[in-house]
Amino acid sequence: MSVPLSQMWTVAAYVLKQKLSGRKRYPLVLMLEPLFRCNLTCAGCGKIQYPAQILKKHLTLEQCLKAVDECGAPVVSIPGGEPLMYPQIGELVDALVKRRKYVYLCTNALLLKEKLEQGVLRPSRYVSLSIHMDGLREDHDEAVCRDGVYDRAVEAIKEALRRGFRVTTNTTLFDGASPLRMRAFFDEMMGLGVEGMMLSPGYSYSKAPDQEHFLRRGRTHDLFSKMLSNARKHWKFNQSPLFLQFLMGKRDYECTPWGNPTFNLFGWQRPCYLLQEGFAESFQELMESTRWERYGRKSGNEKCQDCMVHCGYEATAVDDTFSSWKGFRDTLVASITGRL
Amino acid sequence: MTLQGWVPEIGEFLTLAEVIDLAFDYRGNTTVVRVDGTEIEGYVFNRNRDAPEPFIQIFDVAGNGPIRIPCSEIRNIRFTGRDMAAGNSWQAWLERREREKAEKAGPA
Repeated sequence: MSVPLSQMWTVAAYVLKQKLSGRKRYPLVLMLEPLFRCNLTCAGCGKIQYPAQILKKHLTLEQCLKAVDECGAPVVSIPGGEPLMYPQIGELVDALVKRRKYVYLCTNALLLKEKLEQGVLRPSRYVSLSIHMDGLREDHDEAVCRDGVYDRAVEAIKEALRRGFRVTTNTTLFDGASPLRMRAFFDEMMGLGVEGMMLSPGYSYSKAPDQEHFLRRGRTHDLFSKMLSNARKHWKFNQSPLFLQFLMGKRDYECTPWGNPTFNLFGWQRPCYLLQEGFAESFQELMESTRWERYGRKSGNEKCQDCMVHCGYEATAVDDTFSSWKGFRDTLVASITGRL
Repeated sequence: MTLQGWVPEIGEFLTLAEVIDLAFDYRGNTTVVRVDGTEIEGYVFNRNRDAPEPFIQIFDVAGNGPIRIPCSEIRNIRFTGRDMAAGNSWQAWLERREREKAEKAGPA
């Protein structure tokens, strides 16, 4: 596994503190969406379909930082929309680093090279550029519905690495993905020199244009087992090994939607990053007034039955690591040996 | 299927609460008609039925907001704006890709 030790230590200390204080529901990663505007219209994305006046808007820097302080999570992920289109992205990342938050800047990388040349972002052990890569060239360009995006992202990855940035990739998988091609993709990404890769099955957003290719639970187990069994030694994954084992069908977890709370233009999104069933005005209101029992697989909620996405289950996996010796041991063994 | 252009007829078979839910789910602008006859066009991004006084929140077409409107002040909501989730741009991309593939393959 490739999560740096300092980050692991910060997360471990934070989770243990929550447990010792008896806090049942705690945030682990804040999903901060400063804008919905994007320079791509990917087939599986349900995040950007809004009228023009909404797409033109973005959060102020003050709104972003207030949300970060309210939430208190040790990790902040900045998706969107395309975060590099946010006019104050450099100031935002700098302010997060000052607060010692670990930042994942999730970008399609189309603007990355330009922003790096302009000096908008600075390398830091707290900042990881998380590049959206859904597979090899043909697969990725098809997923993002534009030719040439893969090549531009690879060029930007090389430039970011040359400048000393931490670079990871984030990959969303859909039905029809080929395990063999994905294994070749992992080789290719590690060959570029990225720190690690993040994987997740896609979620069937009701607003996404392509409704036919979302993975059901059984297919997810099948695909991830074929992809990750006999994982090559040089593959590094920047995520919980227990979460990957869950995707392979080796563990059964329940969703913890409060683990990755989402803040955007509309407020604190209920109940999670994927479902949009209303908004709270404060983080406290989100945590206290959301009817959590209505969500997750056990609830019987139809929208949750096939979901195995990281934002619902990775926090569960991390919690499992610190809930029992077995969870801790399994995490340690997988992290050291690389075996899933 | 899209609700674009729909003018709901609230009555025996359709309640205002159902129309509010549909407007909240709609990814386009709508026109909220108030009980006093005034109208406001914008994007309904939130609705809260569980609040002591149930309400919706919108950003108007100029992007001003959030504007809170109590449900008790709403007479109807018309689905006047373009449905941004109708998938038109993706459909166009698929068609263009198929056309390009056919052109590359040449005449059969």
